[in-house]
Amino acid sequence: MAVDDKTNGTHIEQQGNSDGHGQGGATMPSGLGRARLALAISAGKLAGASGRFFRIGGGTSLPGMIARRIDPNVLKSIVGASKAKKIVITGSNGKTTTARMTAAIADASGQRVSQNRTGSNMLQGVTSVAVNFADIFGRLDSDVLLFEIDEGTMPLVLPEIEPDVVVITNIFRDQLDRYGELYSVAKALNKLLESLPASSTIILNGNDPQVANFGQNAQARRLFFGLESKEVGTPVPEQSADIIRCIHCQEDLLYEVAYMSHLGIYRCPNCGYTLPKLDIAATSIQLAPDGEGPTHVTMRIPEGELHFEIPLPGLHNVYNAAAAIGAGLAAGFDMEKVPAAIGNIRPAFGRLEKIQAGDQTIYLAFVKNPTSFNLMLRLIARHPGQKHLLLAASHTIVDGEDFAWLWDVDIEDLAPDILDVVCSGNKPEELAMRLKYAEVPVDKIQLIEDREAALDAALKNAGPGGTLYIMCSYTPTHELRRIMQKRGWVKHFWEE
Amino acid sequence: MSQLERLEKVDESDKSSAGGILTVSEQEQVQDSGMVLKIGHLYPTLMSVAADRGNLFSIEKRCKWRGIRTEVEQIFVKQTPDFTKYDLILFHGGADREMELASRDIQAKAPSLREAAESGTVFLSVCAGYQLLGHYYKPFQGPELKGVGLLDLYTEGGDKRFMTHMALECEFEPIGKQVLVGYENHSGRTYLGPKAQPLGKVLAGWGNNGKDSYEGAVYKNVFGTYLHGPVLPKNPWFTDLLILRALERRYGKGNVQLAPLDDSTEIAAHDAALKLAMEFKGTMSAIEATPWKR
Repeated sequence: MAVDDKTNGTHIEQQGNSDGHGQGGATMPSGLGRARLALAISAGKLAGASGRFFRIGGGTSLPGMIARRIDPNVLKSIVGASKAKKIVITGSNGKTTTARMTAAIADASGQRVSQNRTGSNMLQGVTSVAVNFADIFGRLDSDVLLFEIDEGTMPLVLPEIEPDVVVITNIFRDQLDRYGELYSVAKALNKLLESLPASSTIILNGNDPQVANFGQNAQARRLFFGLESKEVGTPVPEQSADIIRCIHCQEDLLYEVAYMSHLGIYRCPNCGYTLPKLDIAATSIQLAPDGEGPTHVTMRIPEGELHFEIPLPGLHNVYNAAAAIGAGLAAGFDMEKVPAAIGNIRPAFGRLEKIQAGDQTIYLAFVKNPTSFNLMLRLIARHPGQKHLLLAASHTIVDGEDFAWLWDVDIEDLAPDILDVVCSGNKPEELAMRLKYAEVPVDKIQLIEDREAALDAALKNAGPGGTLYIMCSYTPTHELRRIMQKRGWVKHFWEE
Repeated sequence: MSQLERLEKVDESDKSSAGGILTVSEQEQVQDSGMVLKIGHLYPTLMSVAADRGNLFSIEKRCKWRGIRTEVEQIFVKQTPDFTKYDLILFHGGADREMELASRDIQAKAPSLREAAESGTVFLSVCAGYQLLGHYYKPFQGPELKGVGLLDLYTEGGDKRFMTHMALECEFEPIGKQVLVGYENHSGRTYLGPKAQPLGKVLAGWGNNGKDSYEGAVYKNVFGTYLHGPVLPKNPWFTDLLILRALERRYGKGNVQLAPLDDSTEIAAHDAALKLAMEFKGTMSAIEATPWKR
């Protein structure tokens, strides 16, 4: 696999920061600085091309890494000189699909979009977008620059981008070992939002009690998106919900509806803190009964109402659509194009992707925290019949070192429907134990560390014409997908 | 649900169990031992940050598989039950904000908690829960948080976080030397007083304060540790020790024998975690110090 930017961007950042052309970045550097910029971009482009040529990976972060080594200001120079609308999408879950939907709306509105669409969302991946799309003089001809940025990387990247629109999808418990604690991530994000100028717009999830409170003292305009429909959701948040106490007075929040984790219609019985009036609100939601088909949505926006279908399952994709519409509104895209744009969206890489493997069917889901894992489990539970599973978890910096969060996943709900399960990745033992304590009989659990052997074993379990469900963390998702790509079942992910 | 309603709910379940719902264990093959273990889960939503609820799963299932019934009561803020009714109390970790709340609330619970500890109730406290069973926690920044002083120890915040896979060597009657594995993630430095014994000697990781090479604390049946992971599932010997001590409190020493279980899955997870801990030996953080490789 090629160098992946999720490792640790800061290390590269620290090297060779003695750059000559100042902090401004709003204009192109001249003289030596310009030569260095051109060299950085060329080297980055070459690295990306060779990465793809030698099939060592998607080349999604290598160009950025190489270019930053030569010119640490490369991102700031390119982005600063561009007149394009700069949209940043961050948060714990839903970034990639929200970005895809935003791009689709922009595209349908006749805008030329550059984006980091393969989920390479730390410093080097973001820089790669700029390097890949700019000419060697650092000029971009895009109308929209769309950045999906890891929430922990935001403090590093945001000052270099100076965005027009920032979308915060939600804040969930996610890889605590990487970012310390939930609140420190939230605090850092809020501080960044408060530094944005009045000309920018912040799009916030109003159903998230913490995110809805962001930017209280910001100069930027705030728009809130969320769900208002009472046809969906549950009366009480699920076990793994993170924030169920009032952020102002710590009293337990009361929920009228809980949509997923701590997202919902909430009110503090003590101080009255509640969600703001939503600017973009899903007022009617009809989910497909089989967990697969399209969701019918009515969305209220300031200009009126939008009716459309989302071809991707689940409530989380209604959130993604609402967030994308918010970004589109702020960036001035054509709202009449929303139904067509979102109606044609395909699932992002590894987001319950349906893959045909000969006469067998594979559903591939990328899960990274209890919320996304529970979502996928719930979607899969709607598919009829008992299930053949392949689960894979790895301990790497990207996936997180500490796999404790598996114990926050409600595997118990699916356990009775598990016919057999193969555990893979470089930490299959912990997974197998988690399943045992969800009372999945031990004789139904296989441990196969090698990814390809695990896939073959799981497909054998599924049998001719059968269906296999794969859920795994970041690295094994890539690894398994690469095997499937080799077999011609899926395309290279950078071709999407 | 408001805390008041929760309180009422707990009270109701109290009454019904007092009425005696002695249903036979659902497990087909497992014979009902006739024993029951009463568990108090302290602040189950407030202090729940690192998936430590896995500890409860471990205790419940290992009892169930032996035909021992468990009754779990959740104890929220503003509730002051008589803690001596529990054989085992779980008190897990939380972020700083939650810890502050718990510190304030737990003062009203402190006298009964102390009584329970003296009466031999088993406590498993983890991370922030562990710190709050001590005298106080002084964060790196901000005001001091008062504990309950059940364990003779105090904690001071440090500027660096200890985050790494960890292993320690413990020795308990009647099982002898055992290795405990898990994942530590804390900035607090804990120092034990004369009345607290360390839980174990550090084989890999930082432990209480990164200096004296000890981790955790024990006083009577009160156990405290920094280990997440969660700690119990992959250390079945430790779970069984807690279950044994808790049952002995109720049924008397010598009257309890735990049937052996097939622990091959747990032991595999234990050994994988131990291997990781030894790989990361001597590093401040498993994250920062890992060279990037594939």
